[in-house]
Amino acid sequence: MPIISAKNITHLYNKGTPSEAVALKDVSIDINKGELVGIIGHTGSGKSTLVQHFNALLKPDSGTVTVDGVDIWSSKRAAHDARFKVGLCFQYPEYQLFEETVYKDISFGPGNMGLPGDEIDRRVRRAAEYVGLQSDLLDKSPFDLSGGEKRRAAIAGVIAMEPEALILDEPTAGLDPAGRDRVLEMIRNYRERTGSAVLLVSHSMEDVARLADKVLVMNNAGVEMFGTVDEVYSHAQRLRDIGLNIPQISKIMYILSSKGYDFGSAYTVERALELITGKAGVRE
Amino acid sequence: MIKDITIGQYFIGDSFMHKLDARMKIILTMVFIVAIFLCKSFPALGLMVLFTIALVLISGVPMKMVLKSLKPIAIIVLFTSVLNIFYVRGGTELVSWRFIHIGTNGIFTALFMAVRIICLVVVSSLLTYTTTPTMLTDALEKLLSPLKLVKVPVATLAMMMTLALRFIPTLIDEIDRITNAQKARGADLDNGGFIKRAKALIPIIVPLFVSSIRRAYELADAMDCRCYTGGNGRTRMKQMKLMPRDFISAAVTALFVAGIIVLNHFFKAVIVR
Ligand SMILES: Nc1ncnc2c1ncn2[C@@H]1O[C@H](COP(=O)(O)OP(=O)(O)OP(=O)(O)O)[C@@H](O)[C@H]1O
Ligand SMILES: [Mg+2]
Repeated sequence: MPIISAKNITHLYNKGTPSEAVALKDVSIDINKGELVGIIGHTGSGKSTLVQHFNALLKPDSGTVTVDGVDIWSSKRAAHDARFKVGLCFQYPEYQLFEETVYKDISFGPGNMGLPGDEIDRRVRRAAEYVGLQSDLLDKSPFDLSGGEKRRAAIAGVIAMEPEALILDEPTAGLDPAGRDRVLEMIRNYRERTGSAVLLVSHSMEDVARLADKVLVMNNAGVEMFGTVDEVYSHAQRLRDIGLNIPQISKIMYILSSKGYDFGSAYTVERALELITGKAGVRE
Repeated sequence: MIKDITIGQYFIGDSFMHKLDARMKIILTMVFIVAIFLCKSFPALGLMVLFTIALVLISGVPMKMVLKSLKPIAIIVLFTSVLNIFYVRGGTELVSWRFIHIGTNGIFTALFMAVRIICLVVVSSLLTYTTTPTMLTDALEKLLSPLKLVKVPVATLAMMMTLALRFIPTLIDEIDRITNAQKARGADLDNGGFIKRAKALIPIIVPLFVSSIRRAYELADAMDCRCYTGGNGRTRMKQMKLMPRDFISAAVTALFVAGIIVLNHFFKAVIVR
């Protein structure tokens, strides 16, 4: 049974006003337990709108969303449960920090779940560890942290709810390369250690290739493709037509093969290196 | 709820009213508001309602949008009307039970008050629907410029107002964003008693203040970088100029006010105030 399943969902913004806009059109998708799915698409293609349907923040104008087999709009209780089963971390989550200390801020989510004190404490410390926040930072004010630390503290606030599916909307936006790598590393860690499903909305096709099992491509409010990284990235021309760009290294591999040096296709630099050194029988 | 606030909302259009000079629109709106409180007889009230409907039709703003601007004040209208029904004595007694006395005077006053408030809100929202905030503040600056003689910093005040209006939609977006982020962490904003709900606002208000202050600093820097040294002596890209249509509107409004006064004179006043 998929953890999240959307059936024919459609969403309109500003319904019934002159500025009405179709943000999702008849979207169906199943996300399986433990899967890491990358979501890509040009700006305004409906990625953020789609993921907000998964934890009952937005209600579809038609269609159904089920989480763990339960229709999340079937009862108030179900919508409430979906908030905790599916953890959603928005773009620039550092703007949601509000407590006096980082510790208190991370415990906001678990506290809302009504967990006992010692369980909250355990979760806060574990979440901080996942995102790599040293324990001496926990007693600081969140407003005294650096940008990258704030971002990780905010992500920890969602992780601490220990959701069965974690959704991150452009978690690396606006970070420097080092901060970006730490966040990506953290996502991989979290997924390996908890076995939760992770949905990663990203503009970097290379990051998605590096981390994801499957890729969902959104285009003009609909699903364009959904499949494994290899399947999706092999449609390079189509991806380019809908305003996306395959990673630079893929282009290089493509050019090499068209010139007669066929090493296979790769979407990350590491993989390309493996393929080339492997085939040519040379060492680094 | 927050989306119901229509003040400062502009409705894109190309109607006669959109084209009027903003200064003239402000003055005529004020004249209209005075006229509202001159109405004392039923025919005068009828004329005012007709005039208001005509204004809405001319403005090209859909009736639905106009009604939306009334939503936030519905409670106030209801409250004052009910209060007037019980509070204002006199006229023909209709109900008399223990301490409750309802007379025709009370009912008329309630009706007049409700219609007056509604017309007032409709006409003032037409002003903001058909005038961009920039035009509005430019016009206010011009209208208030005599105050410069007594050293009132009119230009600075106008700039402050422009900025405040400019940031209303930004703030509304920001509130939406933060609310969603906290809801995603299980914040419960819709249940519980008054205290619980007030407390539930803290996770929204704190980040809102933090980002507003940050934004204010950034804006100040950006204005500094573009050599803003105060509003005095700044010229405008769009110069305001009175056109024949502005004088026509003034004449029509004057006729309307005269009509109200005449109708009041010939018909019986049904309310005291
Ligand atoms: N609150 C809103 N009100 C009205 N329209 C909206 C709102 N949020 C999004 N939209 C519109 O819905 C469409 C989809 O937006 P969405 O934010 O889901 O795109 P996205 O794929 O996440 O884009 P990006 O990559 O820029 O984040 C866009 O056309 C956008 O203009
Ligand atoms: Mg987005």
